[in-house]
Formats: sequence, structure tokens, C-alpha cells
Amino acid sequence: MARIRLTNKRRKALIGLTFVSPWIVGFLIFTMYPMLHSMFLSFHRVKITPTGIKTTYVGFENYKYAIFSDPAFVEKVLKYLQEMALNVPIIVVFSLIIALLINQKIKFRGLFRTIFFLPVIITSGPVINELLNQGATSIPNIEQYGLFTMIENSLNPVIAEPIMYLFKQIIMVLWFSGVQILIFLAGLQKVDQSIYEAARIDGASSWEIFWKVTLPDLMPLVIVNVIYTIVYVSTFALNEIIILIKNNMFSTITGFGYATAVAWVYFIIIMLMLAIWTGLLSMKKR
Amino acid sequence: MSYQGTKMNPSKFHRSQLKFYAILIPLAFFMMLPIMFIIFHAFKPIDELFAFPPRFIVQKPTLDNFRELFFTTSTSGIPFSRFIFNSLLVTLSVMFFSVFISSLAAYAMSKMKFKLRKALFEVNTLALMFVPIAVQIPRYLVVVQTGILDTYFAHILPLLAMPIGLFLLKQFIDQVPDELKEAAVIDGASEFTVFRKVIVPVIMPALATVAILAFQAVWNNLETSNYYVNDEGLKTMSFFMSSIASQSGNTVAGQGMSAAASLIMFVPNLIIFILLQSKVMNTMAHSGLK
Repeated sequence: MARIRLTNKRRKALIGLTFVSPWIVGFLIFTMYPMLHSMFLSFHRVKITPTGIKTTYVGFENYKYAIFSDPAFVEKVLKYLQEMALNVPIIVVFSLIIALLINQKIKFRGLFRTIFFLPVIITSGPVINELLNQGATSIPNIEQYGLFTMIENSLNPVIAEPIMYLFKQIIMVLWFSGVQILIFLAGLQKVDQSIYEAARIDGASSWEIFWKVTLPDLMPLVIVNVIYTIVYVSTFALNEIIILIKNNMFSTITGFGYATAVAWVYFIIIMLMLAIWTGLLSMKKR
Repeated sequence: MSYQGTKMNPSKFHRSQLKFYAILIPLAFFMMLPIMFIIFHAFKPIDELFAFPPRFIVQKPTLDNFRELFFTTSTSGIPFSRFIFNSLLVTLSVMFFSVFISSLAAYAMSKMKFKLRKALFEVNTLALMFVPIAVQIPRYLVVVQTGILDTYFAHILPLLAMPIGLFLLKQFIDQVPDELKEAAVIDGASEFTVFRKVIVPVIMPALATVAILAFQAVWNNLETSNYYVNDEGLKTMSFFMSSIASQSGNTVAGQGMSAAASLIMFVPNLIIFILLQSKVMNTMAHSGLK
């Protein structure tokens, strides 16, 4: 028997795989396999009976129904695409601005950083649940409280309307931007200070420095943040399409098979959107 | 710029800083609103809970909601401490293991060279985009087949694979220059030593972030208690709290109790956040990366 020679390269690969293996095992069992199984179910009509789960093969029926016949799904997807086209740039630009601001040498910097990282515990967990329990079915409904009522009552509707819209957006954007701010902040702290000094000596204004030095440096992180934002907003538990999928899951008419088909169509939409966004951004880089 | 390390606040206030405050203070106020709301809400008497239009700030604070809640919990069959223990055990194990597993994998995918690493990371990013609830039934089947139904493992194992954690950690480790690792390797460090002594301290902010996210995901998780565990004594606090709110349903007292329960569930979130955020905020200040 020939001895397997452990070349240096092979040894390294083996160590690498050992490091990844616990993750691979968990991922395969609890994420990959369920995903593939859900794809299998999406081609079936699924009935949950007390004795078990009964499936009948229906081919592309579920998909056809979702794309061509289900008015709720098509309408929600269009609305979702519209929102994403607006919200992704707003969230990313906003978190960049906040990161730049709290990277300045100002007093209470630590406090501000803490506050702007708070959304991480707001958008997941009991705060959102509580707002939901209050009959606020979507996040923007928080506008009912206090300040917003005040604005509505004290101002002419023509002026109040755009202000309200802006406020709603601000809150949405703020709530979804915690981790993105952190990612930018980490990137900003890494930018070599001597480059700034050199630029300043050459007579560049802060504005020029931002566009010529800071932004190109942060570009990879912009892409990371775009991906993170799209994923976070799209798979957020209160997203309308997710609620639609949830409602279909235990519906007696459509059922789990249909819900998974919708989920897969949605998955492909998210993927396409990510491809378009990252494509656009890396084109600009060149 | 002089080296400031952890001393992140400049010692002097200057007029030129005013323009930053003009933007930051109002925004910071908005960030605080939901948290203030949940605190105020728990102390509202019944008539204020149902006031229309709803009031933000409590007028006559009362502890009635909490009293009601504790009365209900003391009459249920299983002692309340049991739920607290379950929640703590499950949450802490997931936090520790998922951070450990993801960071180890992220390090290998970022700084070690082997064939599959690119493909694995791509697969992870794809999984990130998949709607989590759509795998609920297949996941349930896995839980049944692996025989972990009705055990603590049913709470822990399904939540360990955290695609978002791996994604964030790898992005952070990518930022760490290779030279840092090479220097350690030349000094004779093994891969694991490099990971533990070089990488972990540098990516502390990312680790703390992922730990916060993991805590969030597990502490508030209802899914595992709802579907994977039938034994009442093995369910978690979040399940218990939400069942109190739904049992008393739309009753008037139920609203108050659920407001109080939400605050109780929220406080640990805030504590963990405050404990870990100092690590998050220190970002890369003393990592030798500048």
C-alpha cells in the first residue's frame, strides 16, 4: 500500500477543512438539507394530517399560480421592488453619513456610537412585538404616537404630509442601519491617517478628500453593506412577503407546498437584485 | 492625529463641533423613542393603555401590570425559575458555540487556502437570502429524525448555524492584513494559535456584534419551544411570556400583562447590549491595524 504523502499544501488544506467542519456539519443538517427539502415540497401539494405529511406531485403548478394567478403575491412583489430601489441607497448612504459623523472628534462620541447601534436590539425582539401588539401592523405606524400626532394636528396637511413621510422614512432607515454603521465605522478607522494629511498638504478640501480618498477606500464595505441591507430588509420577519408566505403555510387552500414555492420565487428575486446591485457598484469602481 | 486608544472622547468642546450635534442629537432622540415607549408602556394603568390617541408618556405610573403578571406566573404548574434556567442555558450555549463555530469557519475561509473555501462562502451567502420560515417544516422533520425532539438540543442545535454571523465575521477578518498572520506563523504559531492570539483580539468588535445578534435570535425565539419541544418543563421564558399574553388574549388585563412581560423580556437584551457594546465601539483602535 502506497503511503499517502501529506504534502505541505495538502496538510494546510486539511487544517482548513477541520476549522470549517463543525460549521459545515451544522449548516448541512439544519440549513442546506431543509432548504433542499423545501424545494422538493414546492413541487408538491402538501397536506398535513395527524398521521403525517402527505405530498402529491403537481409539477410547476405552485409556481405558475404564484407568478400568474396570485394577485396578492404579484402586487406585494412590485411594492417590494419599489421599496428596495428607494430604501437600499437611503439606508447605505445614511449609515455612511452617520459613521462619518461619529468618527469625528466630538464630545460624547462613545455615547452617540452606542445610541446608533441600538437598532440592533430594536428591530429584533420584544420591542417590535410590543409595537405589533399595540395594533401597529407595520413599523411606520409608530407615527401614531406623541410627536407625530402633534405635527399632524398643528400643521397644514400640505406641509404635514411630506414631513410625515420623511419621518416615517427616517425611522425605518434608522432602525435598519445599526450594523451597517458599525461596518463603515470599522472601515473608517482603518483608513491611514497619513493619506489624509498628505491630501490636506496638497490643498484638498474635506469634500474632495471624501470623494477621492475615503470613498474609494470604503467601496468594498459599501458592497458588503448593500448585501447586508438587502438581506436584512428582505428577510425581516415583518416584511409583507414573509407574512404572505407565513399565512399560506397553514392555509387549507394553498398549504405549505405553495408557501415554499413563493419562498423560492422570492429567493430568486432577492438574488437577482443582489446581482444587479453588486454589478452596478463594481462597475462604478473600475 | 495622536494615538488616542480607548480615550475616544476629545477632552475639549469646540464650537466647530456644533454642526455635528445639530444632526446627531435629533437623530439620537429618534433612536431612543421605541425603547422609551416600551418602558413607559409597561407602567401604564388600564385606561392609559387603551387611550386614543395613544399617549407616549405615562401619566399615572403603576405597578399593577407587574403584580398581575407575577400572580399569574405563580399559579401556573411549573415554577417560573425553571423557564429562566431553560432560557439562560439555551441562550448562553448558542451564543458561545455559534460565535466560536462561525469565527473558526470565517477565519479558515478568509485566511487559509483550500479548494472549497470560495464555494462554501458563496453557499452561505445564498442561504442568507432564503426566507427562514420557509424551512420550518423540513427543519421540524430533521429534528424528529435526529431524535433531539423534546431535549435541550432541539433548542440549541437548529440555531447554531448562523449564516449572518459567518458573513459578518468573514468580512471583518478579510480586513485584517495577511502580514499579521504571517508574522505569527514565522514565529512558529500554529493555525489555532494564530486564530486565538492574533485574529480573535483584532475582530473583537465583530465577535461582540455577532454575539449580540445571536443573543437576540435565541432569547426571543419562539419557534423552538413551539414546534420542537412538547414538554412544558423544557420550554423557554419567551414562550411562557408570550403564552401568558395570548392566553389572557384580548382581555383588558392581558394587555397590561403583555406590556409588563415585554419589558421583562427586553431588559436582558439591553443588559447584554450594554455589556458587549463597549467592545463593539472600541473597534480597531488598538489592533495595530492603523
